[in-house]
Amino acid sequence: MIDDVHDRLQDLEELTRSYARYSRNAGGLSSVLGGVLCLLAYFGGQLLHGVAVASAVLIAIPAVWLLAKGWMTRRYYQRWGHVEEQETPVERRMHWFCVVVVLLVALVITAVLASAARPHPWSLPPGMLGYLALLWLLVLAAWRWLRSPLDFIVGVFLFCQAAMVSGGGYYPLIGTTHTLQATQMSLVALMFPLAALAMIANGVREHGQFQQLRRRLQQVRAGQGGEA
Amino acid sequence: MSTPGDITEVMALDRLVHEPARLLILAVLSGAKLVEFGFLEQVSGLSKGNLSSHMSKLEAGGLIEVKKSFRGKRPLTELCITPAGRRALANYRRQLATVMQGIPAPAAPTKRRREE
Repeated sequence: MIDDVHDRLQDLEELTRSYARYSRNAGGLSSVLGGVLCLLAYFGGQLLHGVAVASAVLIAIPAVWLLAKGWMTRRYYQRWGHVEEQETPVERRMHWFCVVVVLLVALVITAVLASAARPHPWSLPPGMLGYLALLWLLVLAAWRWLRSPLDFIVGVFLFCQAAMVSGGGYYPLIGTTHTLQATQMSLVALMFPLAALAMIANGVREHGQFQQLRRRLQQVRAGQGGEA
Repeated sequence: MSTPGDITEVMALDRLVHEPARLLILAVLSGAKLVEFGFLEQVSGLSKGNLSSHMSKLEAGGLIEVKKSFRGKRPLTELCITPAGRRALANYRRQLATVMQGIPAPAAPTKRRREE
């Protein structure tokens, strides 16, 4: 009997924990979308460079993804009510570390661009102002939405690519560069499509897990779960 | 047969936690940082009134925290378990395990009883 009560309590706790994951760490289909958009941004940045419509799309991608992510969480994965996941101390520290790094990078880049601008720090061309705006939006997004490691990597890339496109540039594709600096940049940027592929695989797995969780929740709601 | 020690253990069970509906609420809340009332209603199968009544008792005992606000024009109630609530739940589990260890397993039914 004690094992039965104990198991049922554990079951309920586990059910809630699994459901809560979709508020923060698990994205399901929104991770799949993020991965696809990341691949699109990675290849589109160079291949569609100079096409006005493509540039507008690339700049809008981070916002589209975050909005879609929020919508899917609210309307699909947490449709039975919002349940927020309990962060572990390690996750909390990691998250703040990532936010601080992004903040410091944003401060340094802003300072460098402002000091190079002539005649005033604020007299930057519109494209560069857009670059800075996206950079600071990245800081906000990293703090508010980019909680899991894959979300962070892919989100950072989407914002950085959008900022680069706004400033008139792009992250070069590997094998298409001739200078050492561009080659190094293309090598670093290679981690983003790889992260995108991992994110797509992860999203598919999380969506499958959600289908099981959904069936379990339906059983509980129908009174077949035999909860405590 | 219970010994005086067993009875003491039974009497020591936290009655605030022991009630099944309240135990269920604490078990659900212990799996998350914050839980919306709607989710608790879905998994518990309890009515709004019943749930609210148990929530009030747990809140008064300092085991949970209830946050009321609005989402647009709709009232929003969110709950979270307090550190004292987590301790009480863990303690209750330990107490229950101790109590049940002291109770002998029911004897297997005899042949005659089965025939009846």
